[in-house]
Amino acid sequence: MFFALIGILIGAVIGFLLPYTYNTAYSLYISVAILACLDSVFGGIRANLEGNFNIPIFLSGFFGNAILAAFLAYIGDRLGVPLYYAAIFTFGGRLFDNFGAIRRIWLKKRKSI
Amino acid sequence: MKKNNPRFIITAFSIIIGILVAIQMKLKVESIAPVTVKSIQDTKNEINKLNNEILELQEIIKKREQELEILENISKGDQNIVDILQNDLKFNMASSGRTSLEGPGIKITMFDNMDSEIVGFDINDDVIHDVDILNILNDLRIAGAEAISINDQRVVSTSEIKCGGPIIRINGRSIGTPFVIKAIGDPKLLMASVNAPGTYGDTLRSVFSIGFEPEIQDKVVIPAYNGSFSFKYAKPVGEGE
Repeated sequence: MFFALIGILIGAVIGFLLPYTYNTAYSLYISVAILACLDSVFGGIRANLEGNFNIPIFLSGFFGNAILAAFLAYIGDRLGVPLYYAAIFTFGGRLFDNFGAIRRIWLKKRKSI
Repeated sequence: MKKNNPRFIITAFSIIIGILVAIQMKLKVESIAPVTVKSIQDTKNEINKLNNEILELQEIIKKREQELEILENISKGDQNIVDILQNDLKFNMASSGRTSLEGPGIKITMFDNMDSEIVGFDINDDVIHDVDILNILNDLRIAGAEAISINDQRVVSTSEIKCGGPIIRINGRSIGTPFVIKAIGDPKLLMASVNAPGTYGDTLRSVFSIGFEPEIQDKVVIPAYNGSFSFKYAKPVGEGE
């Protein structure tokens, strides 16, 4: 949990320091992809706490979800249907599910200690 | 080390997310509103409207600039104000029918059916009525006639065309057949408006066998209106621009 937060903070500092940016036109796709990545990381933390963390599953989820979410947003843009809502609702919902599970495991652990 | 492996990987990917988030924040995208086909069209319409407005305003600016130029010329003394007013007067006289005009146009001669046997059940079908004249006048006006006269009576905005038995009355005077309608304008267009198949003039000639002879003339002279305009009820509103 905390190492993920620390990682995001470190990443943010690096990102602000890096001189690279991308085209504003892609910002919608990237933001949906970020949501998907966040969900994957939360899932990873949960799996880690539950003790069944699997590197290939985590990696494929991280990149696959991000690419699928960005692709959905892109296709939606082309078709004139806001398809990226699908990604936002799915990953947003799963994010809270994962967070709920993490909380429960964490609180139980503290109780047992 | 093996136990820390997942934590290490999660941290590494968190860093990637952090970098993406930071770059996204750096872009300062104000808000991503869902873009639908409808909103695109709405925006397009708005843009078109604004563009049209701009064009109109530019035209107004041009007009105003021209007016300004005239006024500046007056102040410089290049153009006398009397000249300008006189030009104005001439134009107004011409457009109200107070001056004789000449130009290319057509001349239409109309007369009643001269044959001994009548066409319809009624003798009324064989004579020219006020309505026939009115329809021809309207056709000519649609074709862009700039000045029209009937038997040398200028047709102005107050001219009446009234049935008076075998004659018609225009500008308070009685005129009889043959009626000679003259009009200044694009001769071909005027000719087509009364002579083309299916027009009112053509119907008069071919169905009712009424004498109807239009001819193109290079120089048509239309006399001035010599009646008087008197406004008893109408008053000008404000100051026209």
